[in-house]
Amino acid sequence: MNRQTAHLRVNGRVYELEVDSGATLLDTLREDLGLTGTKRGCSEGECGACTVLVDGVTVNSCLYPTMKASGHDILTVEGLGTMENLHPLQEAFLRGGAVQCGFCTPGMLLAAKALLDGNPNPTEDEIRLAISGNLCRCTGYAKIVSAVQDAARTMADGGSVGAHVPPLNVVEPVTVRGPAASAGGVGANVPRLEGKAKVLGAARFADDLSFPGMVHGKVLRSPHPHALIRKIDVSRAVALPGVAAVVTAADIPGRNAFGILIKDQPFLAADKVRFVGEAIAAVAAESGEIARRACSLIEVEYELLPAVFDPIEAMTPTAPQLFAKGNISAHRHIERGQVTAVLAQAAVVISETFQTQLVEHAYIEPEAGVAVPDTGGITAHVVSQCVHYHRSDLAAMLGWPVGRVRVVQTTVGGAFGGKIDLSLHPFIVLLAAKTGRPVKMVYTREESITATTKRHPFLIDMTFAADREGTLDAAMTRVIGDTGAYASYGPAVVTRAAATAFGPYHIPHVRVDTYAVHTNNPIAGAMRGFGVPQMATAHEQLMDMLAERVGLSPIEVRRRNGFAPGRALAPTGDIRDGLGYLETLERAAFGLHPSVGGDGADPQVLPLRGERL
Amino acid sequence: MAESADHALALLTELDGTGRVIAGGTDLMLDQRVGNPRVLVDISRLPEWRSIEHRGDRIRVGALCTHNDLATSALLQERAVALVRAAAAVGSPQIRMVATVGGNVVNALPAADTAIALAALGATAEVRSAAGTREVDLLSLYAGVGKSTIDPTREILTGFSFPIPGGSGFKRLARRKALALPVLNVAAAVWMDDGLACSDVRISIGPVAPAPWRALEAEHVLRGSVLTRETISRAAHTAMATAVCRDSIRACSLYRQSMVQVLVRRALLQALEGGCDE
Ligand code: FES
Ligand code: FES
Repeated sequence: MNRQTAHLRVNGRVYELEVDSGATLLDTLREDLGLTGTKRGCSEGECGACTVLVDGVTVNSCLYPTMKASGHDILTVEGLGTMENLHPLQEAFLRGGAVQCGFCTPGMLLAAKALLDGNPNPTEDEIRLAISGNLCRCTGYAKIVSAVQDAARTMADGGSVGAHVPPLNVVEPVTVRGPAASAGGVGANVPRLEGKAKVLGAARFADDLSFPGMVHGKVLRSPHPHALIRKIDVSRAVALPGVAAVVTAADIPGRNAFGILIKDQPFLAADKVRFVGEAIAAVAAESGEIARRACSLIEVEYELLPAVFDPIEAMTPTAPQLFAKGNISAHRHIERGQVTAVLAQAAVVISETFQTQLVEHAYIEPEAGVAVPDTGGITAHVVSQCVHYHRSDLAAMLGWPVGRVRVVQTTVGGAFGGKIDLSLHPFIVLLAAKTGRPVKMVYTREESITATTKRHPFLIDMTFAADREGTLDAAMTRVIGDTGAYASYGPAVVTRAAATAFGPYHIPHVRVDTYAVHTNNPIAGAMRGFGVPQMATAHEQLMDMLAERVGLSPIEVRRRNGFAPGRALAPTGDIRDGLGYLETLERAAFGLHPSVGGDGADPQVLPLRGERL
Repeated sequence: MAESADHALALLTELDGTGRVIAGGTDLMLDQRVGNPRVLVDISRLPEWRSIEHRGDRIRVGALCTHNDLATSALLQERAVALVRAAAAVGSPQIRMVATVGGNVVNALPAADTAIALAALGATAEVRSAAGTREVDLLSLYAGVGKSTIDPTREILTGFSFPIPGGSGFKRLARRKALALPVLNVAAAVWMDDGLACSDVRISIGPVAPAPWRALEAEHVLRGSVLTRETISRAAHTAMATAVCRDSIRACSLYRQSMVQVLVRRALLQALEGGCDE
């Protein structure tokens, strides 16, 4: 590709530099100019994390050729405000809690800036339209919209209110609620400690780090869902100029198995692959592009095996088996009372099947990390929700004592459970051990979706038995969670699902069977709620059906069965403390129907047939 | 970076098949990453191909107009609302600021919103090469899904022209309001004779076929008749009955097919009532 000279004016400073004619503005800003405040979430124009202003107009810098920006004015988050003098938008985001992980924040701020520059007093709809190209997975947008409104007001009142925002690391109450709050204690509304760095684009996410002598890593993945590996030939990859190291399972000095609960997943597949995207080899090279080319030069000979994608089928003995021990990774059984007898005699029995879907966490920051060798050990600066676990499995992989591996959690751009498991950590650590050089790896969005864990899809059969007044007497359920190729958190997810199978309802007789089952689907692991939300889709719909069947409002049927002191028998036993269910229900009812809900409301005033909670 | 139209063509000739035209680049930059990157000839700064003009009873739209240019054009708002709505529906604000209408057509994807609108407006396209300029029917540019008859290594799509309709409308169904490809999009344009009967009408639908799909039989129902809610409903039903929809990850064929009727009716009503939303 030919090189061209670009003249860029970025945040008022003029730069003249040589770039590839196909380079994107995002590459140039981050890699050549070191302006890492502009984020890379997808490289496809979908997430808006890379938003910058070119001549005052919002563009996705990941799709914008640098040469197109030549001769023009570019504004990035670094040009918006300074530590001492934040832009009113930055202050408002901080004040209003519009910043959580902060990964979407730079792009969001610039989209808002472009809006306010042209329209100082936007309506809520105009704000929503202006930020419609910027995804946020953490905040739910409401606080972002109100922060933009807040900033618009501040700017109309004459600009900056710098003095209102405390300096970094100083906690100062902003909104005062009661005496304790006024002292800055419980109940005080305090700005996020690292918030200021996030609104300035100065927070260091893993992809923002770089070290002298650093090489870049890529992974070769299986295109097959289920296959035996006959042969791996890396010789052509090793011979490619610019390649620093190629590793396969054979290069793992210690234990080639990891997993937070069950060590059933190889760091690099040795003899068998169990899902599309399973890692087979990793390469470190002078550039990511060379590493990618090297991966394509690795030859792998597979012997394809029949695959299984349906967990019900996977439970049958004739299904393709992923492991010698069979496809059932975990089974939890809880039984109390006389379920069969009660069901046989109950006045009302309701039975349904529910299917929930696989969910991708879709944090805006893809997995990233750098492993840096130092005297006697390796330090990995990497996305993580679980540094101690990561460290122990990484040390075991190398066959090292735990003390030689350090895992430093970088600022994490959203995780939602998806960064509890190891992802690229072992590859960078292994490559750093082999090359003695810092190794950086960043997943592409496709890779992040293909190779990392998901929320378990559940197949739930559930039965409720009640009397004519709608009081539950017995319940039973069978739950099959598709945990995919490896266990990850599957056993824990189905344990939680069993413990919370029937939600906050008092049921004397119960039978629960939950299973985590292996298939050749993507791995399911931890995600917000850990199996509990899946169960809620079933028991809440059954509650509504029960209400309809016995002629009660959905709220009343819950009042009759909800946990209350002395009446709180969950599958795992009596719950004695922290029962807030009925109060929560009353508040929710009041929120839905202020005229009829709340204390002392007549339950019969809430017929609401067909209305779902 | 091309400095003039002639310069752009000279560069392409000089590169002899190894160069490629780039305008907004929002799709092309993705393609560059896979496949073989080629030398890019940037035409996006040529003002002569970025204007929207009234010419007699026609409107000419430069191929380098961005989606945002179309979405905010007063002339189009008044005379060709379908194109305004289609442009405003694409991608996100960031994409609309950069992506051009010419690119939307040259990319030849079956759901391209502005192409659907231009097809209903009966647009012709101007294509320039070193050999000169040719003017062709918009639909003749489609060679298959994602395949255009324009050779981007030698030719440049410079603009579109269409007869000003009596009214036009555009309706779109997608899972989200932003950053979502359409499940279905429909554009309609009507031309009236003096007696208020419909002298001509075009209805185009995507993604149904590799190119914007004309609902010819539905058009036939309307042509020559006075447009009423009743005739419009009949045309919408005909469109549904004759459309052959496919299953895709975004929607099943059955759902698409039933939505054809709804969207065709709404697009026609919008064309008649001028910008009204149902
Ligand atoms: S839109 Fe550019 S990184 Fe996502
Ligand atoms: S704060 Fe928006 S993605 Fe995390």
